[in-house]
Amino acid sequence: MMKRIALATTFFFLATTLAFSQTLDELKNDGKNTDNVLTYGMGYHQHRFSTLKRINKQTVKRLVPVWNVSLNSSYGEQAQPLVYDGVIYVTDAEYTVAIDIDTGKQIWRTPVDWDPATPRVVCCGVSNKGPAIYNGKVFRGTLDAFVVALDMKTGKQIWKQKVAEWKDGYSITGAPLVANGVLITGISGAEFGIRGFLDGWDPDTGKHLWRRYTIPAPGEKGNETWPAGDAYLRGGGSTWVTGSYDPDLDLVYWGVGNAGPWNPGGRAGDNLYTASVLALKPQTGEMVWYYQLVPNEMFDLDASWEWILADINVEGAKRKVMMHFSRGGFLYVLDRTNGKLLSAKPFEKVNWATHVDMATGRPVESDMAQKVRAGEQIELWPGQWGAKNWPHAAFNPDTGLLYANTMHASRLIRFVPVEYKPGQRYAGLENLPAPRPPNEPIAHVDAIDPMTATHKWRAPILDIPHYAAVIATAGGLLFTGKETGEFIALDINTGKTLWQFQTGSGINAQPITFTHKGRQYVVVQSGLGGVNVVRMGEQLKNVPRGGSVWAFALMPE
Amino acid sequence: MKRIAAIGCMLALFSAGTAAQNPEQVPPERIKQGADIYAQNCSGCHGAHMADPQGAFDLRQFPPDQKSRFVNSVTKGKNGMPPWGDLFKPEDIDALWAYVVAGEKP
Repeated sequence: MMKRIALATTFFFLATTLAFSQTLDELKNDGKNTDNVLTYGMGYHQHRFSTLKRINKQTVKRLVPVWNVSLNSSYGEQAQPLVYDGVIYVTDAEYTVAIDIDTGKQIWRTPVDWDPATPRVVCCGVSNKGPAIYNGKVFRGTLDAFVVALDMKTGKQIWKQKVAEWKDGYSITGAPLVANGVLITGISGAEFGIRGFLDGWDPDTGKHLWRRYTIPAPGEKGNETWPAGDAYLRGGGSTWVTGSYDPDLDLVYWGVGNAGPWNPGGRAGDNLYTASVLALKPQTGEMVWYYQLVPNEMFDLDASWEWILADINVEGAKRKVMMHFSRGGFLYVLDRTNGKLLSAKPFEKVNWATHVDMATGRPVESDMAQKVRAGEQIELWPGQWGAKNWPHAAFNPDTGLLYANTMHASRLIRFVPVEYKPGQRYAGLENLPAPRPPNEPIAHVDAIDPMTATHKWRAPILDIPHYAAVIATAGGLLFTGKETGEFIALDINTGKTLWQFQTGSGINAQPITFTHKGRQYVVVQSGLGGVNVVRMGEQLKNVPRGGSVWAFALMPE
Repeated sequence: MKRIAAIGCMLALFSAGTAAQNPEQVPPERIKQGADIYAQNCSGCHGAHMADPQGAFDLRQFPPDQKSRFVNSVTKGKNGMPPWGDLFKPEDIDALWAYVVAGEKP
């Protein structure tokens, strides 16, 4: 009898452990088992593409909500949920939540506590972009710059580590990444005089394994690109968006943010490794190569958001590439084995540079850039919002095209003096609206060829730029959302809106799709927030606040 | 020393209780100090020179006879604005108020 009980107990323990312990192999193969979504970007490559096609151009008219769960937060929802074993894990700035897919019932909800003054050091909206999951734990960053591990089953805290001091301008809004068994976290705050970095942690214990500063210290290679003194300590280089990972090369690719302050007057030199992408070994943080997009960057030209990994044809040969829509308006394609530039063509209107020199890899600054360096006000294209911002693009390996929410707007800018004060903004830019011709689109949804940056189609937007990620499916659909609350499905071949549903607040988050018990679901968080709320305030002031999660599936015929 | 502190307090109270600010009585350097604090910390949301408030409160519309409301909002936070009370000294907030009331000269 005792033996039987012991056996039953062991079996139960094993079953429980297995059910809540997804492995590195599962992370590596994310997307192959469509019941799970385990990684930021729906795959380490960040394609944001699903092979699922039950919801398609013909059936999407039957797409209906199956449940909705309030997130009890009004700060705004930007996250990408993760799915494992019938449970969805969701974050925002205030909570981590586990939801049962079958019923939509909340399994647990764990609050995140931070000083109400923390938003002072958050440049662009109080938010969180999502969790990472691994081996029975849910990991997340907090606004006040801690990293936390929760038990996947109960939501109880297992460990918590301080990453940096928020009062010095540091915060975390990005999702962590688990690569080769190491938990990697980034940092925000390049508008507040931080020195950016990435950290590696032992996911089991929270032990700190390594730190890779994005700005080298005196004596380290690259520090010669900074003036003598302490400019490097305040030089920005945040790492606020989750990197991608190639398990075969064992390289993590993580974009680095703008230089600080924005006014470049006091930091002559290339300012490595701001506005760059770094290729790192996840177990040690060792930098294998880097590529700097914008030396002596001065327009908040982050290289932070998604670097999409794919194997595509380049001049007749299959190449391992990584692709990135830069804030400054160029579509970069690099060889991800060595960082060699393969293409960098404009995908939007650009006036700060004439082109990217393919021999040096450096943008060639225009007369406009020279004028603003000389202290004049200029009309900058793209404006400081960027030709694209963080709302992530999707890549369809079947068509070889990228799909993105892009922006088409300028700003009047001029550099002004700024003094470093801990925990205060450190930008030095006067940023004013520029006149807009009537009836000119302010944004587009675009389908773009990576190597030529030519548009296969453009769906113009005349009112408010989209601030949601795009996902693509083999069902011929793109899913994204509007700040006024509509969750929309577009025809992947034309950009035509085929379906839409009005959610309770604005959508500035990241949809996912997956299967559960044979049924395809699409899930997205709704809840107006983020930087667009400030920028488009007049148009958005009457959109109701309040975060929630929506799950959609096909109504039976 | 105590007497000076008491006078200081009285002055502060008097100034907080004053309904409206007479721009002619506010030293220009205090307005300039407020403009500098504003440019560094507030313009990101309320707009450069208060001219482009976007989604934040349009400070050009702030009633000039409601200083205590202004001080309270800045100190404790309001709606999407975080509290600044532990970062700004009372004289910083006074300077900000002076700038907001004086407005931007074209």
